[in-house]
Amino acid sequence: MTAFRISQRGWIVVAALAALVALPGYAPQYLVHVANFILIYTLPVIGLGFLTGFTGRVSLAQGALFGVGAYTTALLTTKLGWAPLATLVPSVLMTVVLAVALGGAAVRLAGLYFVMATIGIQQIVWLVLMNWIELTNGPQGVRSIPAIGLGGYELETPQRFFFLALAAAGISYFLAKRVIGSRLGLYLRALSDDQLAASSVAVEVGRAKVTALALSAAWAGAGGFLYAHYVRYIHPDMFGLEASVLYLVMSMFGGYRSIAGMIVATAILESATEYLRPFGEFRMIAYGMILLLGMMYFPKGILTLVRRRASAPATEKS
Amino acid sequence: MFDQLFIGGLATGCIYAVVGLGFTLVYRTLRMVNFAQGHVFMAGAFLGLVIAERVRLPALPLLLVVGAVAFALGMVLERLVFRRLYHNHEVFIVGSIGLGIVLMNGVRVFFPEPVPFPKVFGSTVVQIGTARFQEAYLWVVVSTLVLVVLLHAMFTYTRTGRALRAVAADAEIAGTVGVNVNRAIAFTFGLSFAVAAIAGVLIGPLYFVSFDMGDMVGLKAFSAAVFGGINSIPGTILGGLVIGVLENFAGGYISSAYKDLVAFVILLVMLIWRPTGLLGRETPVKV
Amino acid sequence: MKIGKLVGTIGAAACVVMAMPALAQDIKLGVVAGMSGPGTSYGIGIRQGAEMAVKEINAAGGIKGRKIALVVADDASNPAQSVTAMQRLVNEPVDLVVGGWGSSQVLANMDVAERAGLPYIVVGATNPKITTDKNKWTFRVIFTDSVQAEQIADAAVKRLGMKRIAVIHDANDYGVGNRDIFLASLKKIGIEPVAMVSYQSADKDFTAQLSRIREANPDGLAIFGTIPAAPAIMNQARDLGIKARFIGTGGLANENLMTLSPKASEGTVLTTYFHEDVDAQARAWADRYVKEFSGSAQPPRPVLAAWEYRAIKFIAAPCLESSGTDKEKLRQCISRWKGKLFSVPGEAYFDKTGQLIQQSVLVEVGNGAFQAFKGK
Repeated sequence: MTAFRISQRGWIVVAALAALVALPGYAPQYLVHVANFILIYTLPVIGLGFLTGFTGRVSLAQGALFGVGAYTTALLTTKLGWAPLATLVPSVLMTVVLAVALGGAAVRLAGLYFVMATIGIQQIVWLVLMNWIELTNGPQGVRSIPAIGLGGYELETPQRFFFLALAAAGISYFLAKRVIGSRLGLYLRALSDDQLAASSVAVEVGRAKVTALALSAAWAGAGGFLYAHYVRYIHPDMFGLEASVLYLVMSMFGGYRSIAGMIVATAILESATEYLRPFGEFRMIAYGMILLLGMMYFPKGILTLVRRRASAPATEKS
Repeated sequence: MFDQLFIGGLATGCIYAVVGLGFTLVYRTLRMVNFAQGHVFMAGAFLGLVIAERVRLPALPLLLVVGAVAFALGMVLERLVFRRLYHNHEVFIVGSIGLGIVLMNGVRVFFPEPVPFPKVFGSTVVQIGTARFQEAYLWVVVSTLVLVVLLHAMFTYTRTGRALRAVAADAEIAGTVGVNVNRAIAFTFGLSFAVAAIAGVLIGPLYFVSFDMGDMVGLKAFSAAVFGGINSIPGTILGGLVIGVLENFAGGYISSAYKDLVAFVILLVMLIWRPTGLLGRETPVKV
Repeated sequence: MKIGKLVGTIGAAACVVMAMPALAQDIKLGVVAGMSGPGTSYGIGIRQGAEMAVKEINAAGGIKGRKIALVVADDASNPAQSVTAMQRLVNEPVDLVVGGWGSSQVLANMDVAERAGLPYIVVGATNPKITTDKNKWTFRVIFTDSVQAEQIADAAVKRLGMKRIAVIHDANDYGVGNRDIFLASLKKIGIEPVAMVSYQSADKDFTAQLSRIREANPDGLAIFGTIPAAPAIMNQARDLGIKARFIGTGGLANENLMTLSPKASEGTVLTTYFHEDVDAQARAWADRYVKEFSGSAQPPRPVLAAWEYRAIKFIAAPCLESSGTDKEKLRQCISRWKGKLFSVPGEAYFDKTGQLIQQSVLVEVGNGAFQAFKGK
């Protein structure tokens, strides 16, 4: 019986995969467009999952870091004429370096204080993107970012880009699972479960936290890279606090430890916000209500993370 | 130019201080940060606008009415909404952000464009040294002073105030000595809403009111509170004033482009150096 | 299985999209502008102009029997959202777009139109970079900063006799574009500004910038920005004791300027896109327009509505009549267009960069309204 069930399950997965891969063939352009955003956003959300799910640290700077990745590649390609694919590594590197430089010292702070620090980082990065006009063009944004080209094949349309986005999301998913299963992942999970116990087992707590921060930044930067070459025009407002909140919400709704859950949450939230667009302000009111009601009635997405406050020692205010 | 920048900075600093007080009050009692605070400030300004246009109240009654309505709203929202968000920080933060978004866009439906605020504080221009400013600025500074004194008096001399301090120090023990903890928490929210709304009315006549005015002010007031000590009332006031003045100086002497950076750089540096803030007392957990 | 959930979600969403009812065979006219956010008053004017023009055309039988359906996309005066808004119009699909407000927004969203091969008539963005030799599908009816900033620089020195001019400008494309051309024009006359500062569109408090300007003791202050920053700057400048006369270009050409700074805006001289006193037809149109929209929630804004109305009624509609909705034919028709438009002295025509060549109008704020500028 087991053998039969496995192959039945296998069938469903294969069919689902086939439907997904064939999406651009049968779906209207707008849907492919939305799907691309969903796939791109899974990167910063997964990155956030590392930080939040495995170290208990919530970050509201992911939007800014996503922006650092986007701006790095945008500037390298439009101002220096680099080929898009060549900028992937620099974009990710830049994001990681900046994140560790600004946030490395803050990672040792207790939970709420760390969130506050990430808000500071978010705002500082956004303000610099907005005001360092010589570098970033400020409120004018960066235009005419080239599409990614593989050989002579340009990923100009949503349909063509879809395959890259799908591949990127897929690779991220598998990479993430690998990291979680590795020794690093073990350290990270130990950290979130009980910091005192983890430190008592001589886990290099500080270094592990910075590594988690670096990982989350790397994913954000990679996502930003994809984003820049998809929308082909970037502006600081795309990387503000609202974006950070959105990514955080996506990772919270999905449950921090379930990567698949995060992906589903991303899909649902992004589809919801896109399809509500015609409703103007009401769309934003609906979005706010989703956040509010979601947190009020379904914090279960993050129940795995809730440290039992009653049993925590008196001095630990997380 | 120094005088002008200093006085201007003092006024905006007072606003950051008063709105920041809201953050501090809630944090002291609950160890949570309410990110709807900036939007409450904005809503207070609009409430004041609507009332001032209908009823032609003079300044002081207007402030009191808006404060009272906001207080009631704060208590109601605590019971209906905030109470369900206490699970942990992240839930509270995201939930309060959601509430803020609803507030902001709710106002936006009725007021999509910036609107002028009636000059309830008069419109004569005052001159001190080389600084010229609307008399409303004086109202801002004086009202802040009065507010701080009143709050101090309340906390020190009234039963309610002492109850609030008890809950802030240790809710469990306060409960065992007969303090109605739930009521105290509700009261705290009411107070934080009231001060923010009053700040909104104070600033209204100086600039136009628009639905998005709460965003930046909320974040800077938050920075001010953290800078001065998010569990210290005098610290928050100090923090607000310092940030207000410093950012004006930065804008005037260095570059107007980076004025906004001041608050956030101070925030980040403070957190890394001394998370409890200038005048804060609580020891942070650095694990 | 988790991947299956993702696919299921997308599939469900797809069904929703495809189940939406197909619209009738109307001609779809896209309008993109900010109906919320800082540029709201401009966007609303544009929408009002579009509504009026389309109503008249449809009442007269439409275009060869087909009605025009307006598809309005709000970009919240935000360049990032403007790109998405234009993308939505492309996906709709609309037959052409008449609209666009804000140089930063248009510079961003015109890329989308160009790539999609969609005719786009810009009515509300003045940065010269919009119409160059690179755009094929984008046209613009409103005159550019080059014309406006030059003209106001000239007027400031030669007609208003200003000698110490200070500049405050928005850091976005509109502000920077104007500033650059203004300074270049001043230089040609042999004048340097005594102070120059910038601000962000969303700023509310300008004490820092205005303090610096006050130090320079100017007799004229050029404000290159839009509502609501400009009236705030005017109010605060007067509060600070700056007595300089205000000058500016089209960003100030918005009735809200007088609503938000009733006293401070008096005496401001600016270039504008429309004034009802230029000719009788303009006056007639303005009267009709004000009557139609004075009852609504938003007050009428003739200055901004005028271009949208004229672009639709006198340029887009005739081309739709003669060339149908074939995009390439439409494009060619528009590029060949020339004619007379009310409130535009002389004949207007599109040059090879897609820019409508015409003369501009100078006005002064007096008694809470824009009045023709008479001299001093």
